[in-house]
Amino acid sequence: MTGPSMLPTFAIEGEIVIEDVITYRLFPDSIKRGDLVVAKSPVEPDTTIVCKRVIGLPGDIVCVDPTGEYAPTSEYIKVPEGHIWISGDNASFSRDSRTYGPVPKGLIIGRVLARVWPLRSFTIFRNPTTTIE
Amino acid sequence: MFSLLTSIRRTWLYRKTWPYIYWLPTVYLIADFFQLKTINGRSMQPTLNPDSSRWKDTVLFSKYAIRVTHDYRRDDIVLLRSPEDPNHLLIKRIVALEGDTVQTLPPYPIREVVIPKGHVWVEGDEHFVSDDSNHFGPVSRGLIESKLLAIIWPPERFGPADEVTRRDKKGMENEERRRKFRRSRVNISEVDQLSQPQPPN
Repeated sequence: MTGPSMLPTFAIEGEIVIEDVITYRLFPDSIKRGDLVVAKSPVEPDTTIVCKRVIGLPGDIVCVDPTGEYAPTSEYIKVPEGHIWISGDNASFSRDSRTYGPVPKGLIIGRVLARVWPLRSFTIFRNPTTTIE
Repeated sequence: MFSLLTSIRRTWLYRKTWPYIYWLPTVYLIADFFQLKTINGRSMQPTLNPDSSRWKDTVLFSKYAIRVTHDYRRDDIVLLRSPEDPNHLLIKRIVALEGDTVQTLPPYPIREVVIPKGHVWVEGDEHFVSDDSNHFGPVSRGLIESKLLAIIWPPERFGPADEVTRRDKKGMENEERRRKFRRSRVNISEVDQLSQPQPPN
């Protein structure tokens, strides 16, 4: 993995992760808010694959850009049917749904399962979100 | 060790199955890159599934042209995942590529759209019966799965799709009219988008 967009979850370079492709293909609804997903970049689909965190599922209402740095507005929009809202963990160095809007589910490749290299920072990624009713 | 190998090679099972095992990867690759599919629905009428035909069209798609060579052109017929429902496949024609300006048709709220980077504008040939970019806007190229090469079945319509519609005079006039209408709505951009500097991901 390369790039600063997922700091501090992933380092800028030199890490190897395992991706779970099968579960998403068999159960497309298994994607939850807070999951780390791997998807084709909507703006450079031929060359680039991005890894981001899921913020919103279809039907959710999300704030376009809480930081106000990328998108000119901080309005709230509804994520359309069949799309998800994704965002990098490092908000100031990430090109994500704030710039290109909701991402169609058809671009998702899979979910990040575990980091296997370097060995001393081996991690299995669990969903960190808790739901408040 | 060596004698064991040669004795395996002499067995009946080995001689019978080895050619199949040998060709398996090649067959798998070809089967993955080129697919036959039957078209359902009316959105590409009259190019595909015209009312005059008794059969549903079976067509050959090439994944190779999309996945390996990334060969997208205006007027190509492509198979893509619906942006509204990822389990649904659509067949549409590429009207505009990234950077082009398109004059949209009624259901779309804005008159003119500049296609964003990495996106295409797709439309069915009969846009009034088709759920296309005029409903859901420009779609990311990543959703495109494969590109139509030729119609395989029925036999009287065998051949590349656009050529088949041009075989009789009326079909040719209609196709010419549709193509003119399509082209008149697109303002092709001159800027090479791929050479622009990239922000971080």
